[in-house]
Amino acid sequence: MAIRRNRVCLIALIISLAVALFLIAYPNYVIRPQRHQASQELQAALLVLRYQRLAELLCAAIALGALGILLRSAPGRRARVSAIVAAVGTVLCAGLSRFNVYEIMFHPAGAPSFQSISETRLDAKEMVLAVSLNNDSRAYPVRTIAYHHIVNDVAGGIPLVATY
Amino acid sequence: MWGRKVNGLLLTFHLAGINNQNFLMRDEETGSYWQQISGRAISGPLAGTALTLIPSDELSFALWKSERPAGRVLKDVPGEADNYAPKDWDVKLQQSFPTVLNFPEHGLGNREIMLGIEAFGAARAYRYDQVIREKLVRDFIGSEPVILLTGSDGQSVRAFREKIPSIGDTAFYRDPDATMIDSSTGSRWNFQGCAVDGKAKGTCLERVAIIKDFWFDWRNYHPATSVYRPHG
Repeated sequence: MAIRRNRVCLIALIISLAVALFLIAYPNYVIRPQRHQASQELQAALLVLRYQRLAELLCAAIALGALGILLRSAPGRRARVSAIVAAVGTVLCAGLSRFNVYEIMFHPAGAPSFQSISETRLDAKEMVLAVSLNNDSRAYPVRTIAYHHIVNDVAGGIPLVATY
Repeated sequence: MWGRKVNGLLLTFHLAGINNQNFLMRDEETGSYWQQISGRAISGPLAGTALTLIPSDELSFALWKSERPAGRVLKDVPGEADNYAPKDWDVKLQQSFPTVLNFPEHGLGNREIMLGIEAFGAARAYRYDQVIREKLVRDFIGSEPVILLTGSDGQSVRAFREKIPSIGDTAFYRDPDATMIDSSTGSRWNFQGCAVDGKAKGTCLERVAIIKDFWFDWRNYHPATSVYRPHG
């Protein structure tokens, strides 16, 4: 009985690790800058992303539970090491799922602040993205928003998001 | 540029990924994923919803300053300014990476910079360098007469319907100082599309939104697009 239970635990550990790895790898594989995404696989990748954290937590919980059960029966060294490696791997994946690599790489702008034209040092030729709402005129230098990509703002009382 | 309010809910957007060279956004309020280029949610609780397009301009700082002297400019984010690209980043980019999609139609390079207009039931693209060379382009989109006017800076372009409100269709001609004259009233019009003298003084033409984009990206999202004089 102990042997069968241990086997079940090991299988659960391996499956948790495999699923945890897939949940991280699949969206990162599909949504890559230099790769074309067909509509259906994009939908699938986004579905994985939406449930990724929860699913990863589940995998980690199962892995840790299986590890606990397995270790209590003092298994042989090979089983113990594989189990620990699998559990650690799963927990690491769960940790990774908390990070959005795009936000890390592309530095969101946070709360934007503005200055008057006289305080601004921009070349005359530099391009800006400009909006004018309810007499509130704002310019977003293209060089700046091309780096941050997204600026959440409010202009003339209207909440807007400038994208580039 | 998109409005952040959807069905009364105020959304805050984060960068979530790259989708065929455009990017994906995620709102932190519902976790839905949005396409930057269309403003449409493609996954999540708000899937299918569209953000409201907010009319915006891409023009030189000099021209913008002259039109909006009381305007304010986004500050560099502290600590990040060193990472902003050198000033000719878009020129350099033209020369580098291969694109993920290929549309060798009309002899256009994938990264050729185009001015795209989607209006009046049609999509049409104009080569940017051709538009600023011609200075005033008179054309049709769908069956609507439209003009693309280049500013005095030789860089900024705006599009308008070639129709004076309450007078009707007309023909515009460009004056050397980058203003236009219309053939119906002889009024002079500025880069904002407003008549500054003559019979039509005080009237403004209807703006048409332009998107500046690489050819392959415009063509990918507008498969039926036509191109203005591609070999011209």
